[in-house]
Amino acid sequence: MTNRGRQLWHASDDLVARYAEGVLPESDAWSLEKHVEDCAGCASRVSAAVRGTAAGAVLAQVRAAVLAAAPVPGTAAAAQPRLGGTAEPAQPRLTEPSMPAAPRLTKPSTPAAPRLTEQSVPAAPRLTEPSVPAAPRLTKPSMPAAPRLTEPSVPAAPRLGEAAGRPALSRLARLLWAAGPAVRGAWLPAVLGVAVAALALSYGAGFPGTRALLLAVAPVVPVAGVALSYGPHADPLHEVAAATPGGGLRLALTRTVAVLVVSLPLLTLTGLLLPASGAPAAAAWLLPGLALALASLALASVVGCRAAAGLTGGGWLCAVVGPVAVAPGGTATGRLAEQLSRCLDGTAAQGAWAAAAVLSAVLLTARRPAYDRPLRP
Amino acid sequence: MSSLRVTGLRVRHRKTLALDSLDLALGTGVHGLLGPNGAGKTSLIRVLATVARPDAGRVELLGEDIAGHRGLAGVRRRLGYLPQEFGYYPGFTVREFVAYVAWLKEVPAARVAAAVERAVTRVGLADRIDAKVRTLSGGMVRRVGIAQAIVNDPALLLLDEPTAGLDPEQRVEFRALLRELGAAATVVVSTHLVEDVAAACTEVTLLDAGRIAYRGTPEALTLLGEASDGPGDHPIERGYTAALRAHRTPGAREGVR
Repeated sequence: MTNRGRQLWHASDDLVARYAEGVLPESDAWSLEKHVEDCAGCASRVSAAVRGTAAGAVLAQVRAAVLAAAPVPGTAAAAQPRLGGTAEPAQPRLTEPSMPAAPRLTKPSTPAAPRLTEQSVPAAPRLTEPSVPAAPRLTKPSMPAAPRLTEPSVPAAPRLGEAAGRPALSRLARLLWAAGPAVRGAWLPAVLGVAVAALALSYGAGFPGTRALLLAVAPVVPVAGVALSYGPHADPLHEVAAATPGGGLRLALTRTVAVLVVSLPLLTLTGLLLPASGAPAAAAWLLPGLALALASLALASVVGCRAAAGLTGGGWLCAVVGPVAVAPGGTATGRLAEQLSRCLDGTAAQGAWAAAAVLSAVLLTARRPAYDRPLRP
Repeated sequence: MSSLRVTGLRVRHRKTLALDSLDLALGTGVHGLLGPNGAGKTSLIRVLATVARPDAGRVELLGEDIAGHRGLAGVRRRLGYLPQEFGYYPGFTVREFVAYVAWLKEVPAARVAAAVERAVTRVGLADRIDAKVRTLSGGMVRRVGIAQAIVNDPALLLLDEPTAGLDPEQRVEFRALLRELGAAATVVVSTHLVEDVAAACTEVTLLDAGRIAYRGTPEALTLLGEASDGPGDHPIERGYTAALRAHRTPGAREGVR
């Protein structure tokens, strides 16, 4: 940036060669760049040297690719929105190398632009040899501009067609990612473990009260899934997610749904495979399971996910198992089945669970702003 | 116009006062946030990222007061944030991971694929876009973190120690990216590395013990260093220590501001 000799020096062949290879120190490269803006002679020598390098070939490729891709948007009418979406950010980058002079002058955000616009010396060399100022910038490996400008253009063309065919797939994939740590982590094996253990206990060991046991445990499973999938302790990305619009209640609900989608059918089907032996129907736990999951979410807005899950899950186990421990008469499993019947069987009990689920949903809606910030750990 | 305005900000962190009646207004450009460990840089960035709730004071981002529930989602859609400790899902590919964050930021589904490729290319990871994050080096993971922060083309970008783990060449490239981003957005970069600030920032804010010790351009800080005989290998490093010392000396405080 010094005034040392606009016309007082010219680039030596060695300097030009080292610049083209990208091995010139940054400060020297800058002064050379500044110099070629005003010196047509050196500019054409630098341009020629750069065209001889690997980057020169890439530039030519880019130019060809851009020219080849240009008519595509007009022909593929069906893929129009997607093409538009893909091409929109890529467009300036794609056109830039092929027509260096015009976009550079109109795009002030690139580092080169101010230099080009503010310079007062003859525009002739630049207009007649438009590749001169652009080429050095593109080829200089120390600047990130080089890979950025050249790389996207090559895979862009095939990707346009590929993208059109996979919206449904990517939506499914996003949903699965959103399900997040719970479904991928320790919880899923645990649910499968519960199901397999119940079947093994019933058919392998011939234990008669397995369905009662399963029904006692099942409502706790989605609650545990919620606790293991949302919050700072469960999600490595939590800090990033907390700064996004979708990282609050929306993410918590998405993960709860994922947990329910896995656990409700799996444990209900397992229950159907087990002999009744006096226990309630296999589907009787669905409403309590839903109610407890929603209650956990509502409570989590006050005390945090883990404490909430402990309270609701623990509360359920106390209500079901507690009376069994103190009640007299009969076998333990028989008493458990009786107690479960009291909690689950009949319209009144199921109606109460439905009401509890609705109440929890209302409370959760009211507590919604609490999910705007990270919950208590 | 300021895209970020903070008045009377106070933040407690484990019973100590991390930020104390802080006033700050920042506009478009790259703003370096300097200061010793524990000065409150991360506390400030977390408040600006809408993650931490301030104990007192008013925070206005992109023209919205973020205390309310209403304007928050709109601000967050235009926000980019790289935390100091960047957690990730090791089993995701770079593309999946950045797309997942784009989904969280509510980038329209039709635009996600292109936005992801653009962000990953801008951080120089285009050739590793389909590699699993767990196979990447520390510096590359850091760059994935920068890619997820810029995937929604944020108007306000907050980077907490983004150059930690980058090698010198990557840092040079990253500074160029910063300058490019700062042309259109408000970028706040917290860093320990004074030379990053000198090379990439349009303005410097020096924090010490929860208060602003110095504000100015990197050039002004360099000049301050040239005038002082404090410790440091570069003028801007001497400027950094000189500004800190002047701030810590009672009575001299107002002179530096």
